[in-house]
Amino acid sequence: MEHNEMDNRDLAEFEQKLRLAMRHREAPLGMKQRVLARARERRPARHGRWWMVKRIAASVVLVAGIAGLWSGVTVYHQNEERRKGEEARQQVLTAMRITNKTLDRVSDKLADNGR
Amino acid sequence: MREALSWQPDFEELVDQHQSMVFSLAWRLTGDRGLAEELAQDVFLELDRHLQRLGSANHARYWLRQVTLHRAADALRRKRAKAASLGTDLWVELEERHVLVEPLDMDEYSPLGRRIEELLAALPDSQRAAIVLRYQEDMTPDEIAVMMQAPLATVKSNLQRGLKLLRTKASQTLKEFVRGT
Repeated sequence: MEHNEMDNRDLAEFEQKLRLAMRHREAPLGMKQRVLARARERRPARHGRWWMVKRIAASVVLVAGIAGLWSGVTVYHQNEERRKGEEARQQVLTAMRITNKTLDRVSDKLADNGR
Repeated sequence: MREALSWQPDFEELVDQHQSMVFSLAWRLTGDRGLAEELAQDVFLELDRHLQRLGSANHARYWLRQVTLHRAADALRRKRAKAASLGTDLWVELEERHVLVEPLDMDEYSPLGRRIEELLAALPDSQRAAIVLRYQEDMTPDEIAVMMQAPLATVKSNLQRGLKLLRTKASQTLKEFVRGT
């Protein structure tokens, strides 16, 4: 019983010494400044990352816009070419129709004269 | 609750307030002063990123202890893997580092205190972590169990075993210390 009590007292004493031995140690000199400097360095970098993301997004939108515009213009030109081609074809057909009629008329006159 | 609502975290103030706690934890858990400073700096930079998610001063202190504990465990694992690949014994290295505790605090620390720090490095990780949280941070076994995500019985057992081991190993120094005073 007495031995147990002594043992407990020794243990409590040892725990006390342990607490004393394990007090917080001073942080290395200048550690706080180094932490703050690194934190400051990182902050603009973080903003920079967002800025970069925004820039990339804006570039993607711009490229998509230019591509859309370019394909619109191309389609317009293709349609215009097709329309002009069709117009020319119609003109040629009209000219051929006129020529055909004229030839028919000439042919009729020649036939009348021959009779 | 009121504290959580009114708490306006100031990063610089938090670094100032907790730097010695974070550094001491990291040093005693890893046994490496250089690594401890590196870890402490990384922990504070992580705090800077998470600052808005912390609701109170107590939450910040708890968060700092937990992140330091996890980072120290990761660092020890990496060190061990590296030591294993190089074929060196980490514990021999740690023992040597602790024997060479730099003389900055010679006046502040008793021979027993220095010896305890040396012996601490030789304890198994889980026992050392439990002892450091209990006697450096004055945390209860329940709080340690929550922080280490371990059953309470395991934490209590680690504390008892670690304490017994430390006490046995330190007894010789203690006798010399008592004889010397």
